[in-house]
This record gives sequence, structure tokens and C-alpha cells, in this order.
Amino acid sequence: MKTKIKYLLTSFSLLFFFSCTDLGEDVYDKIPADKFGQTEAQINAIIAPIYRSLTSLWPGDGLVISEESADMAITPTRIGGDWWDGGVHMEFGRHTWQPRNGVLNGFWNSANNGVTTCNKVLAIIESNTSMDETKKANAIAEIRGVRAFWYYILIDYFGNVPLVTSFDDTELPSTTSRKDVYKFVIDELTEIKDQLPSDVSSKTYGKFTKGAAYFLLAKMYLNAEIFTGTLTESSFTKGTAEWQNCIDACDSVLKLPYILEPNWKLSFEVNNESSKEIIFPCVFTRKESGNHILHRTLHYKDPIALGISISPWNGISAIPDYVNQYDDADKRKDWSFLIGPMIDPATGDVLITQHGRDLIHTIDIPIIEGSQNKYDGTWGEVHQEVGARCYKWAIEPGMSANSENDFAIFRLADVYLMKAEALVRLGRNAEALPLVNEVRKRAFDDPSKLLTEVTLEDIYRERRYEMAWECYTRQDMIRFGTFTAPRFLKPETTPIYKILFPIPIQALEANNKLTQNPGYSGL
Amino acid sequence: MTPKEKNLWKLTKGALFLVFCLFSFSVFAQNRTVRGTVKDASGEPLIGVTVQIQGTSSGTVTDMDGKFELENVPTNAVLDFSYVGMQQQSVAVNGRSTIDITMREDVAALDEVVVVGYGTQTRREITGSVANVSEKDFNKGLTKDAADLLQGKVAGLSITSASGDLNDSPTIRLRGVNTLQRDNGPFIVIDGVPGGDLNSVAPQDIESISVLKDASSAAIYGSRSAGGVILITTKRGSASAQRISYDGYVAISTAANKPEMLSAQDWRNYVTENGLQEQAAAFDRYNADTNWFDEILRTGFSQNHSLSLSGGGSANNYRASVNYRNMEGIMKDNTFENFNFRFQFSQRAIDNKLRIGLTGVANIRNISPSDKSNSMLASNFLPVYPVYNSDGSWFDLTEWNQGNPLRQIEMNERNIKNVDFYGNGDIEFSFTEDLIGKLTLYTQRKSFDYSRYDHSETYNGRDPKGFAQRDARTMDKNLLESTLTYNTIFNNAHKVTLLGGYSWEQNDFQRVQAQNRFFITDMLKANDLQSGQNLLPEDVLSEKNMYRLISFFGRLNYAYKERYMLTATLRYDGSSKFGSNHKWGTFPSVSAAWGVSQEEFMKDITWLDDLKFRVGYGVTGNQDGLDPYKTLELYGRSGSYYDQGNWYTSYKIAQNANPDLKWEQTSSLNIGLDFSIFKNVLNGTVEWYRKKTSDMLYEYAVPTPPFLHDRIMANVGDMLNTGFEFALSSTPIRNSNFTWTTSINGSFNHNEVTKLSNELYSTSRLYVGDVGGIRGMSATTSSILEEGYPVGQFYMLKSNGIDENGKYIIEDITGEGEITDADRTYVGDAQPDFVFGWQNTFNYKKWDLSFFFRGTVGNDVLNIGKIAYSNSQSLIGANVRKEALKIGLTQAPQMCSYYVEDGSHIRLDNLSIGYNFDTSRIGWLNNARVYITGQNLFVITNYTGLDPEVRMDGVDPGKEEREFYPKPRTFSLGVSLSF
Repeated sequence: MKTKIKYLLTSFSLLFFFSCTDLGEDVYDKIPADKFGQTEAQINAIIAPIYRSLTSLWPGDGLVISEESADMAITPTRIGGDWWDGGVHMEFGRHTWQPRNGVLNGFWNSANNGVTTCNKVLAIIESNTSMDETKKANAIAEIRGVRAFWYYILIDYFGNVPLVTSFDDTELPSTTSRKDVYKFVIDELTEIKDQLPSDVSSKTYGKFTKGAAYFLLAKMYLNAEIFTGTLTESSFTKGTAEWQNCIDACDSVLKLPYILEPNWKLSFEVNNESSKEIIFPCVFTRKESGNHILHRTLHYKDPIALGISISPWNGISAIPDYVNQYDDADKRKDWSFLIGPMIDPATGDVLITQHGRDLIHTIDIPIIEGSQNKYDGTWGEVHQEVGARCYKWAIEPGMSANSENDFAIFRLADVYLMKAEALVRLGRNAEALPLVNEVRKRAFDDPSKLLTEVTLEDIYRERRYEMAWECYTRQDMIRFGTFTAPRFLKPETTPIYKILFPIPIQALEANNKLTQNPGYSGL
Repeated sequence: MTPKEKNLWKLTKGALFLVFCLFSFSVFAQNRTVRGTVKDASGEPLIGVTVQIQGTSSGTVTDMDGKFELENVPTNAVLDFSYVGMQQQSVAVNGRSTIDITMREDVAALDEVVVVGYGTQTRREITGSVANVSEKDFNKGLTKDAADLLQGKVAGLSITSASGDLNDSPTIRLRGVNTLQRDNGPFIVIDGVPGGDLNSVAPQDIESISVLKDASSAAIYGSRSAGGVILITTKRGSASAQRISYDGYVAISTAANKPEMLSAQDWRNYVTENGLQEQAAAFDRYNADTNWFDEILRTGFSQNHSLSLSGGGSANNYRASVNYRNMEGIMKDNTFENFNFRFQFSQRAIDNKLRIGLTGVANIRNISPSDKSNSMLASNFLPVYPVYNSDGSWFDLTEWNQGNPLRQIEMNERNIKNVDFYGNGDIEFSFTEDLIGKLTLYTQRKSFDYSRYDHSETYNGRDPKGFAQRDARTMDKNLLESTLTYNTIFNNAHKVTLLGGYSWEQNDFQRVQAQNRFFITDMLKANDLQSGQNLLPEDVLSEKNMYRLISFFGRLNYAYKERYMLTATLRYDGSSKFGSNHKWGTFPSVSAAWGVSQEEFMKDITWLDDLKFRVGYGVTGNQDGLDPYKTLELYGRSGSYYDQGNWYTSYKIAQNANPDLKWEQTSSLNIGLDFSIFKNVLNGTVEWYRKKTSDMLYEYAVPTPPFLHDRIMANVGDMLNTGFEFALSSTPIRNSNFTWTTSINGSFNHNEVTKLSNELYSTSRLYVGDVGGIRGMSATTSSILEEGYPVGQFYMLKSNGIDENGKYIIEDITGEGEITDADRTYVGDAQPDFVFGWQNTFNYKKWDLSFFFRGTVGNDVLNIGKIAYSNSQSLIGANVRKEALKIGLTQAPQMCSYYVEDGSHIRLDNLSIGYNFDTSRIGWLNNARVYITGQNLFVITNYTGLDPEVRMDGVDPGKEEREFYPKPRTFSLGVSLSF
């Protein structure tokens, strides 16, 4: 019996041979949060995501909702239903967007992700113990600047949004009014602007600088009447104008060493980081996904003609009236749009589309007769090859993936035009004239094309010639009161509440404390 | 029927028997004539009973009066008596000259020993829901793994194969969908080792498979058993049968269904009829007539050879086997080669108290998975395009979704080299006759090495100008398990078994992947990645992670005279994946059974062989879908950032950490009834169950801000499965020459998501099921997860057909006068109401014939192929299916119920004819059999796509994909020999 007991004991000791209840996790390929952020390189790597989030602005959802809801661009439904995508693009063109529109939801997520990334990085930096106080203060100013930028984007498109300024605040946020968020952005920028670097160099390229802060202040003031106005389903009452503040902010930018590049195209080149006109860019690299503007706009066979090796999607094109408004002498027309026959370099002949048609990018986008019946009676299908394509950003020869070109979210030409507009709005047209002509003269060989006097209408048009594809058309049209007017494929005037987009249903579903904008259905 | 040595229990008996025989032989042998009569239990003589001297080929059969006479029988010989439908008997002659025998009905089904978790039980004693399939009932023909053997055989176990790709695994679900987060199906246990892989065992090595269906039988496996458990038992050597067996077959496979595309003539007719000659000239200038599917499909030739040696002595047994299988898929780029080596040796010592068993398995596979995008290219490419240009070069085009699929097949490469190696040692010691301890040590390494090259001139490779990739993964698993079992019977009636155990398991995963593009030559393929000229930062990656599981478990079995049975189990499971306060979970179960037929008062009811009621309740857990580290706040790489002209690595908190993650639990109630009547002419099982999954793990949508990411892994939802199952088996005809056995199984299951929100996450519905890749359907979803609806609920616009103008007639659900997303509604359910299998086996003398039907009723299938390829507007630049012209759609294809079809079907899955040679005259040959099998012979269905059996995994099951692989019809010819 004794031996049996021995056996029993032995077997039980076998049971507990291993450290038998240890369930700790060994993490190998990620870094535990408390073990990172000690060196300068690590801190830079932690701050970096605030800039990476900017890549969602353009040329994806941001481009679509700004330029397609305005009269700049369209992603038409191509023959056979390409790009119909449940009608999302028609909704932008026809101003019939629904709270469930996937592009709106995507953009809402990107912008809010921008905000929450800033909040998280801010919390990490604030609690970091290995940074010296100056560096910390600089970093915090940068982060708050980018956050202010995202709130500017959010109130521009969605108006009334959740305002969250601390990552540690885990309560589901409720809606803050557009007016209050406007004030928050102004206050933040005013507070941080002197903590930001002011040099214009490769050192600050791609960072939120003093120039960016003043530019954004100018933009906020320029749109102050709109951002602080009162919107209902059927009416809009403008808020307080801030034209002089706008002029002052513009002047602060103009004092900084930015220049209007004599060569207009430099700001859109493959290596446009050398442009001193760019104030706040989203920096892209061909080595990572990001700048897919060529995929989005080119026809499937355009790469053959252009000598590049990508598989584009034949999507976004310019609206004919927008292209047609350019003076033929305005070089920005050719610089901004790809128009005309696409030639196969091997044969010298015009390429043929899959539908057996010549690949000629016409400015006109004629709807195929009868195809309107397939949709809502106005929208219809168009042939694959029609429509002027985006050609503003230079094409890198032989490229086989993404574009290297950075996107200038803020650039100096806009400051000239913002200041000019504010001056004209204050009746100081004469002061505005040289500013407009400075921008304009790069586009013409013939000096007689320069303006001799300037009106608000001139500034509106000049902005359109200069800023095509740069995500300002919707904002400008709202400010100039043309957004709801009839236009290509939209014969009706749209209700005023459409100057704001709805809060996406998906956001309301995830957070039922949010309030829907006027005119739109909620949950 | 030959007795099946199913497990150690019987093995021991066999070993003892052999010892007995050896002793007998030691006595001086003498020969004499033996006579006798064979009768059945009622005293009727049995005609045609085989009487054979064991170990020899000499024997005879009984005559009309049940009498037999055998000459030259050694006095120490053993006679084997066998007869269809009766239990085989072996009788030692012991010097007698007259031997009268009464044979018993073979009610083996009831005395059958079934493998259950951590042990075995006789069928009479089982209290839970356990189905057992043994070799004779396995699916025949070309089979890759245990799933193929089981398909359709077990009520409630649904095995669906969505494609014919030899590299694709079927989706296995027991009693419905059990979780939202990466449902891995049942937990696999091979020869007692938990967490195995179905494809690591060659089908020819499998002796039997048990399926633990309810929580009370599965809960002993605790945290990983919520999806049920499949226990695989491999064949063992036996002292009574020193054998060399060979099993081999050759098989040919052809496509059972090809999409019917427009032929060149059809296309040209369309052009003429629609006056499109002018535009068509650009396409139709090669004078070609190509059926692209004929170009990429083939008749696949497969072969399988398996050789095993088995046997044993008084204190040991062994079995070694080698299996070689080489299969060609019906797509030209698809092959599968498998070498499987398995060795088992077991030795007893110390008066048979100690038994040590060693097992080693090596499984080597070379696989070329099919590139399914070729089906899309073959669908789109026009029949008026040639395969080759007139100068012999490849014809190709470079437009979106256009490319020469055969060129892809010929020039691109995808190869997987897999090695699985595992070995385990079992040490079993009988401290007393009643108390047995067992220790298992197990180690396993699986490696996966993938190499891919997309030639720079093909559809896949032309943008990157040649694309090469290597991916190497290593998965290690180490396991220690130790159990102590105590058996006792007191007062000759109360049988008690106690089991206690401990288990420790660690899994380590590591991976390295590299890829590159833009090669100046295509010669190097994926063998010289560094020569690519466009290496991007994300082209190189490595990963490593681990998780650990620790468990304590125990079980009590109690049986009183096979009348009252009780089983209770408890498992206390810990997983490193969970939050620090939630690592441990308790999984209890209890079940009871009442063997009614064993009661005294039932003695007189002779037509009833057996009747047993069972009821069980238990809780099982799930953590399989959960990746390690989800509770931790971690930094991970998040692209690069630009700083002063250089790019650096950016780091971001990689996930919304959820420190409160805990076990997902499934509690289930099972009520069952087993019966056997009329001397086993009809037997069966009926069962009802209700399973509730709660704290369901899923990536729920959360708002940003306040969260950093818009998804968080959390325990939120609940799900319910209720169902009813039956399995009936009958032998309506049984005589000496002819037997007919038929069995049918069926299951009804109702699945419902009952909750998707809690105080934190207020989701009531989730739109799921992207159908990306179809023109004009970005961001369109097909399905919904919603409280009150099943997983696989299709949710989209409701179409009432197509009108005379070629437009969908969409129902305006909201009544607002326009059709928007708000008009989407519930239009079908991917999960079947009823799943069935029907097996018939006929034995006539040496011939046998079996056929097997299986099918489903009431499941809907979304025919994505029809959306993508049956739209006549794609003409004339892209080809369409023939039905496109009939449909005549004139608007952009829309996600709507027009494409949701009834997937009910019945399939003749297997038809097999075999012949067993009479080997009694050939001393060295034990068994010889030839057979021919046809698989997937026909499907009867109203479904208009390729095959109504489609992908059933994930949260959006039931879709026939845009990129597909047709299923094969296979004929095989095989031979089995044993010496």
C-alpha cells in the first residue's frame, strides 16, 4: 500500500511539474505602451500618426465630397453601370445624399479619426517624462494645430459635431454646435500660433507651422459668416463676418518667407516638396498607398498613352461647364485637365476602348440617350472615354503604383485670393487687384489678360481657375451663394439645408447621443 | 462482420487472447475431425455460417440443417464462426470433436465502444450526444481528409465545400453557427491529443470518428468545445492480426458544372442582331473561337497509395503506415501532393502495469493553390479572342478585368510547401487495477512556406512588372496532459469512474514574409527577391506571437446496471488571451440517462432491444477567434512619416485594447432518445437541443472619438441555436446472400442572433458582406446581423422580377415613392432549415453496392456570378453568361433579391460498387477487394448558378463567389489488399 501512495504522490508531482498556472503573455512583435517614447526618435514616431491621418483627405473621400457636391467634378456612371456604386456619386451630383452614404461615412470616420489620433498622441506626450519642457510645448502646439485643422474640416462639412479634447474622456460625446466648434478652433489657433516654428524650410515641411496656423485662421475668418450662421431645414441666417481678421491673418502669412512660385507647376510636381508656395502639405510617397489620384481619374487604357504602368479605375472627371469657363489662353486649363485623343505610342493611332470607341477625352459628358430611365430620369450613363481628367499633378514617367506628389492642403496662392476677397468684401477693390493679378499672371503669356479691375465675381472665378481639384469648390460656392443653384445634371435648386452634410447613420448608430443636422433623418 | 479492435480495451483483450493461443500451441498438436451444429438464439439452425480454422485458409460452411464438418483440425485450434448479422465467435477446440454453437444477434451498435473525451464508453452507457462513424460508413472514393469521410454522415454536422480547389478546406459547423468571430468549427482531437488538424491524418489511417455534439459530452474540452468536438481514432496494430495492407486508387476528375458563356457564334449573332458590326470590328479581328473555360479546365488525374504494417506481440503492438497521394485539380494550375508517415508503437512492462506508447507523424505536402481570378478573366474575355496570336505569341489585353487566363496559368506560379511533424509519448501506469495514471507529452511543428511569382506579362504581374513573394510561417505547439482515472464497481451493480486531469499547452507562431516587384527578367521567379527593383517598406514583415492554455478538469461517471447513468464534468480553463481578471473560466456539465429497456418490467417486451432517454446540460467556451494580445495597449508600426527629407517609421497604438475581454460561453441543453427494435432491424437516435451563446466575442463598431479606432473586440452579443436531429438505421433485408442496410440522418436548426448590444455598445444591426470587385457595387453589402435574425440573413432591395423594359421591379418598402437604401429588407436566409444524408448499402455474396445522397432544404444562395457575368450590358467588350440575353437587364446590376435563389438541393454524392475476392484458397492473402466509386454524380436543384453548395463561413455565408472554382465529378478505381 505504501508503494501505491508513493506512486500517487509521484504522479501528482508530475501534474504540477510545470509552472502550472502562469498565463502571462509574452509580447514579441508589438511594443507595450509603457515601454516606448524614451528617445527623440521614438517621440517623433509617436507624433507622426497625426500627419499620417492627413492622407485620408485627398484624393479619396474628401475630394469626392468637396468637388462632386460642387460643380467641379463628377464620377459619372459609365456604360454598364461602372461606378454606380449604389448611387453614392449620383447623390453628390444631384444633391440627394442620404445619411447612409458610404463616402460621407468614410470621410466622417477619417476626420474623427484625425481628431482622436491627435487626442491620443496629446495624452501620450503630456504624460511623457523624458522630454524637455520646450520640446514638449512645441510638440503639444503642433498636435493641437492638427486637431484644430480636423475640427475646421468637420465644421465645414458636417457643422455640428462632437467636440472631444481629451483622450481620457471616455464618455460618449454629444453634439457641439458649429458656432462653438468654430470658437474652439479660433481659440486654439490663437493660443498656439506663437509656439509653432515659423521657418519655411525642409525642416518644417510637412509640419503644422506658424504659417499653417495663420492660414487656417484666415480660412476660418473668411468663412466666419457661414460657420457661425444659423441653419434650419428651410433657411440660413449668416453669422458675423470677420473680413478684417481674415486680412490680418493673411498678412501674417505673407510676412513669412513663402513665395508664389514663378513656375506655377512646381507646386504640383513629383518632387513638389521643393515648392516654397506650399504652407501645409499632406506628404505622400510612392512607396506607400496614399496618392492614387491617377488611378481614380484615368481611363483603363490611358497608361499606354502616358507611358506608365498602373491599372486605373476610370472614375472622376471634370464637369464640362467648369472646364469650359476657362479662357483658352489660360495655361491652367491644360495644366489641370487631360483632354483629347489618347495615342498608342506603338502605332501612332488613337487607342480603342473596350466598347470599340476611340479613346478621346472630351470635355463634354453626354448622357447616352435613354439611359436616364435606368436611374432617376436625370442621371444617366456615359461612355467610358468621355470627360476631362485630372492632370494637375505631374505624372512620374514609368510609375507603377502610387504618385509621389504631395498634396498642398494650404498654399500661398490661396492666401492672395483670400485676402483679395476679404478686401473686396470690405469695398477695398483697388487693394485687391494686384493680389489677384499676382496669381493670374503665371497663367498667361499675354499681359493683356491681367485684370484692370476686380469684382467679387472675378475673385470667385479666379479661385475656380486656380484651385481646381483642391477641395475648395464646395466651400467657395457656399460662401458665394451658388451651391444650391441648378447646374449640370441638377436642374433644380436644392434646399438650403444641403449646405451641411448629414451626420452619417453609422455614427448615430455607434453613438446615440449625437444629433442629426436639420433636414436629415436620424435613426 | 469482423470484430473491430477499437481501442486499448479491446486491444488488451486481443493481446490476452494471443497469449492464450501461444500457450495452446505449446501443447503437442494432434489433428482430428470436428463436427457440430450452429443455431440462432431461438434454436433455429443457421444455414451458410462460415466456419474457419483461425490463422489458416481452411474452412467450410454450414448446411441446410446448420451442420458442419471439418477435417484435419488440430486439437489446439480455434474455430471462427461468422455470419452476416450475427456476432462472430471464436471457439477453442480443446480436443473436442463436437462443437455446437448458438450465435447471437449482432447488436454491436449497443455494445460498441465509443471514444469520448479522455476515455471510452460503451454506447449503452453514454449520457451525452455522441455520434460515431466507423470505417465501413466513411465516404468512399477520392478523399483528402476526415472531413471528406464524414460529409453528410452525421446529423447536425454540416460540412460544406464551396470550391473544387484542392487547397481549400470545407466549412464545418456543428448544430449551426456558434459565434460571429471567426468560427473555426468543431475542435479536433486526434488519438486523444487536443487541437489537431484534420489534414494531418491520411483517411486510410482512420479507424473511427466520434462527434461530441452536446455540451455535456464536449465540456470536458472546456474552452474550445463550443463548436463541438471531433475525435479521430487512428488504426492500431493488433497481436491477432499481423498484417501488411495496401490500399490504392486512381481517380479522374472533370468539371461537374462549367459556367455557360456565350460562344463566339453567340457573340457574333448578338453583334449582328443589334447592328453593332462597326464597333465589333475592333474585337473580332482574329478569326478566333475560344471557350476560355475549356482552356483553363482539364481532366485531373489522381492517385493514392497507402501501405501499412501492423501487428504485435504479447506485450506490444505497432502500426506503421505510409500514404502517398497525388491529385490534380480540374483547374490547370491546381495540384496537391501529400506524403504522410505515421508510426505507433506501444509496449507493456512491469507485469503489464506500465504501458508506453510512442507516436510519430510526418506529413509533407506540396500544393499549388488555384488562382481563382482566372475564373473572372475566363468569364470576361471574349470568345472571339484567340489564345495565341498568329505568330505563336500569347494574345493578351491590358484593360481592367481583362487578361488571358491561360497565360496566367502557364506563366505564374504559386506553391506551398507544408510540413507537419508531431510526436507524442504516452506513459500509462496502473497503480492498481482500478487506478490508472496517464501522462502525455506532445510536440508539434507545422511549417508553411509559400512562394508566388506573377510574370511581368500576365494580368497579375503587368502593373508591378513582375511580382514575387515568399511567406514562411512556423507554428509550434507543446502540450502536457496528465490524467488519473479510477474505476470501480461496488455491490456488483454500481459502476463508478472518476477522472481528474491537468493540461498545459502553449502555441507559438512566427512568420516572415518578403516580396518585391519590377524584375528585369522573369527567369528568377520568387527565388531571388533581392533582384527586384521596387522594394517598398511594407514588403518585408515578420511577426511572432504566443498564447497559453492551462486547464484542470474532472469527470464522474456513474452507472447502475446500465439503467441509470450519470455523468458530471467540470473544467477550469485559463487562457493568456484574456484580461488579467478574466483569464479563468469554469465550464461545468451534467447529464443523465435512463436505460428503460434494461428495467425488469421491460423484460417481456421482446421487440424492443434497447431504449434509452438522455438529458444533459453544460457550458462550453470559445476563444478561438481571438488573436493574442487584444487586452493590451501596444504600439505597432503605422506607415512612414516624412521628416526633413527622409522617411521614418511611424508608431501608433495599434488597437483599442479591451482589458475586460473574457470567455465567450455557450450553454446548451440536449434531450435525446436512443432506440433499437426488432432485433436491431431498426435503430436510431432522435435529439432536441437548445444552445445559447452569450458574451459573444466580436469586433464591434465604436465611435471615434472617444475611441482611437472604430472597432473594438468585446464580449457583447448573444446567439441562440435550437434544433432537432434524427439518425435512423435499418437493415430491412438480411440473409446469408443478401443484405440491405439503409440509414438516414437529418437535422433542423434555427439560428438567431438575440442580442448585439450592451450598455457600452448600442448596435442593433451590423451591415456585413461586401461584394467588392463587381462593377458598380463598391460599398454595397449583402447581409445583415441583427437581433432577431439569423447569421446569413440577406438584406437588400426586394425585387419582384424584371419588367419588359429590362428593369428590376423593386418593392418600395417605405412607400416614399423612390427607391433608396431605406427600402432594403429581409430577403432570405443562407442557413438551411433542414440538412439530410441518406445512405444505402447492398451486399450480395461477394459484391457490395452503396450510394449516398445528401442535401439541404430551405437555404438561400446569393448568386454573385449572375450579378457579375449575366449582365448583357457588359457586351460587347466583355463576355457574359448565356442567361444574360434571356434576362435582358437594361439597367446597372443592383444588389437585390433577384439574385437570391433557393439553394435547396439533393446530390448523389457517392456511388460505389465493390467486389471482395474469395481468398480462402490463397493462404498468404487475407483480404482482396476492388471497387469503383463515382462522386458528385448529379445535383437536383432549382438553383441557376454553378452549385448550390457555397461558402458557409463568416458572418455573410451563402454566397457563390465572383471568383470561383467549379466542383469536380470524380470516378475512382481502387484496390485493397491485406496479407
